Amino acid sequence: MNRFFEKFLLGCAWASALLLVTTIFCIVGYLIIKGAETLNLKLIFGNTDPVDALLLKRQVFDGLFPAIVGTLLLVLLSVVWAIPVGIASGIYLAEYAGKKINRALNLLLDILAGIPSIVVGLFGFSVALVLHKHFSEDIYPCLLISSLALALLVLPYIVRTTQVSLENLSSETRLTALALGATKLQNIFYVLIPKSLSGIASGVILAIGRCAEDTAVIMLTGVVATAGVPHSVFANYEALPFYIYYISAQYADRQELLTGYGAAIILLTLCVILFFSAFVIKKQLAYYSLYRT
Amino acid sequence: MIKIHEKLIEKVLLLSASVSASLTILILGFMIVLGLPLLTGGLFFDLLTQPWSPRQELYGIYPMVMGTLAIAFLGVLFACPLSLGCASLISVLGPRPVSLFLKRIVQFMTGVPTVIYGFVGVFLLVPFIRELFQAGSGMCVLSASLMLAVLVSPTMILFFSDSFNQVPASYLNAVDALGGSRVQKLLYIVLPCAWRGILTGLVLGTGRALGDTLIALMIAGNAVQAPGSVLDSARTLTSHIALVIAADYESLEFKSIFACGIVLYMFTTLAVIGIRAFNPSDRKTTL
Amino acid sequence: MKAKTLLVSVFLVGWSLVFGSNANATALEAFKGEKGTVKIAGGTAHIPVVKEAAKRIMTYNPAIQISIAGGGSGVGIKQVGEGLIDIGNSGRKPTDEEIKRYNLHMFKWAIDGVGIVVNPKNPVTSLSKEQTRNVFAGKINNWKQLGGTDKPITVYTRDEASGTRAVFWKKALAKGDITPRANFVVSNGAMKSAIAQDPYGIGYVSVGHIDDTVSAVTFCGVAPTLDNVKKGKYTIARGLYSNTKGKPGGLAEKMIGYLLSSEGQEIVSEKGFVPVK
Repeated sequence: MNRFFEKFLLGCAWASALLLVTTIFCIVGYLIIKGAETLNLKLIFGNTDPVDALLLKRQVFDGLFPAIVGTLLLVLLSVVWAIPVGIASGIYLAEYAGKKINRALNLLLDILAGIPSIVVGLFGFSVALVLHKHFSEDIYPCLLISSLALALLVLPYIVRTTQVSLENLSSETRLTALALGATKLQNIFYVLIPKSLSGIASGVILAIGRCAEDTAVIMLTGVVATAGVPHSVFANYEALPFYIYYISAQYADRQELLTGYGAAIILLTLCVILFFSAFVIKKQLAYYSLYRT
Repeated sequence: MIKIHEKLIEKVLLLSASVSASLTILILGFMIVLGLPLLTGGLFFDLLTQPWSPRQELYGIYPMVMGTLAIAFLGVLFACPLSLGCASLISVLGPRPVSLFLKRIVQFMTGVPTVIYGFVGVFLLVPFIRELFQAGSGMCVLSASLMLAVLVSPTMILFFSDSFNQVPASYLNAVDALGGSRVQKLLYIVLPCAWRGILTGLVLGTGRALGDTLIALMIAGNAVQAPGSVLDSARTLTSHIALVIAADYESLEFKSIFACGIVLYMFTTLAVIGIRAFNPSDRKTTL
Repeated sequence: MKAKTLLVSVFLVGWSLVFGSNANATALEAFKGEKGTVKIAGGTAHIPVVKEAAKRIMTYNPAIQISIAGGGSGVGIKQVGEGLIDIGNSGRKPTDEEIKRYNLHMFKWAIDGVGIVVNPKNPVTSLSKEQTRNVFAGKINNWKQLGGTDKPITVYTRDEASGTRAVFWKKALAKGDITPRANFVVSNGAMKSAIAQDPYGIGYVSVGHIDDTVSAVTFCGVAPTLDNVKKGKYTIARGLYSNTKGKPGGLAEKMIGYLLSSEGQEIVSEKGFVPVK
């Protein structure tokens, strides 16, 4: 009786693994099968000459180029906002904070990490609205507001990974420089940070991946379906994940639907590469910092 | 001189940390302030129990709360056995190559954007459900929760797997020494030891499911009524925010989305506090 | 020069739909040497026309940036009123209250209808007014009650901000209820895709958007074709408006002028709407 039950459980475990693997293969396979035919330069640049488009001399209308550029700019800006604040907070929490402050700040950051992305987007939209009404007529949902909201979204990732990497250093590493007469600050910047660089870097890359794939936040803070390459940070812009969402809901004809598949493949590849690099960098940097003299 | 420099840097670091944390409170503050007209006078509880019908001046978010709970819980219900099974295979039951392969696949899945799941769901899952059940449009609670289960499973699997790996090696060696099989190891030692981790993982998965926007927006149909059956179309709090954001922002209709935001915020806070209750000393949980 | 005179007369006439048609064929010349951005949002029915116009303008003069968003007529009116965008499109005429509150100037550049659509596989091709009201209210909920297959009807509807919905509700449903079980879609394009994919669905969409992926339903004996809308035989008709806060200036003015020029009106009829001139 018991044996039968155990065999049954084993079977269930294998079945669930099989189910999961089949599902993901179906999903990715479906995308590739349907979208592989569109993967060429025309998908990205439409009817415009690629060189002209890249030099921003001519606009691209039927291609993904504006969306790709939009996503890249968005990610870049968000990371610029998030990294300094995130790493600084992480250092503070790991090195300086007393027990009580630590608990309080950690609780708040955990809540921030758990807030649904659409609520963060709502917050960004409300801030833009309030600023528009009370400060300047020129402020409205745009690339800048989106990047600030996205920075807010990924901040907990960076803070958490910095904090955990710093805390996981062995006490010998921590105390050596101090024993030799370095100040706390010198210890942090010359010893501790370089040693935890792999953890911090992987946190940053995870944050980048999160920024690239997020749709809910940008939907509320300035992304539109058609905007071309943004000329300034106060302009509307396009982004890949929003393009995919938009196409899935309202494609005008079969051709547009195919570009949706192509965009999905590009986005998937981008995110997977980022994720993969996070793991690789973490391993490489760890190796590098452990074994070099 | 160095001392002043040090103190200054310390203050700067403190400032960044406080800014990060205070943003959390700021978000709640904004929502309460902006949703004020709907919150005063005990209206909040009315909001939670009324249906949504702007023409009749009813801005209740009850259907959306029901939609969120239905889709999220059903999703976690599907995901739980799936995740437990896969995690068991990765950590305890599987032969080494299988375990490694599965782990890589799961890690790959955590990198897949949500919008991709939604996209494939619309074109693959919805027609399938529609033809299978021959009722409705296929855009329903069932489709959304199935896709949601696929979305939250990888995170849950990795988390369960980590918890399983934290069982002390001495226990595992003891089972081997007594001649127990792998399944017996799992059933009688690992699962009971890791129950806290499992519970935490469930709460994490539920939190993620409650907060997801795109899958519900693209697949669940967005009808404004509390779902009566799994094949009914439904709307979640998150997709409600995405849909109504376009409305007149001085209207009561718009203010109702701040009520949605507050409800979601409270769910999140409850989840976080719940996790801390299970793991008083462990701070490694990531959402 | 001629383009400028044309635009001044547009202001004077305000929101009427006919004015002097001495627009020249090269209306694009108005954009020579200009630079800047134009933000457009609102009605989703307008999008195909506005997108094509924007494409031609931006190809002619790459220094101009035109961004187009959807959102529905309500969004267009509200956002242009609050100064968040330059041109707000609406598929219904703004109410007097809206006009007064935001000091809106309206420009109608096309006439469109709202037609009931079903999936091409659906044998039902004609509905009476009573049947339409009952289907959308949820009282008739199986296709066999209308002479079709024995399958439940899935109603698709738009959100409250939609001008298409407002017009349909007023004129076809005579302000009747729409069942809360209806699926929501966010734009005309989305409605079309949803109906094209769902064999048992029914919805309403701008006549200009109707193509062979969906099948139009005859309402009260009149088919929702362009011809019938033009002749006034199809009663569920509405104008496509572009609204600005106060008098439009600079690029917004030129954009509207372009839409009203003969080239713009050509685009309008190309995309399946009725030009106003």
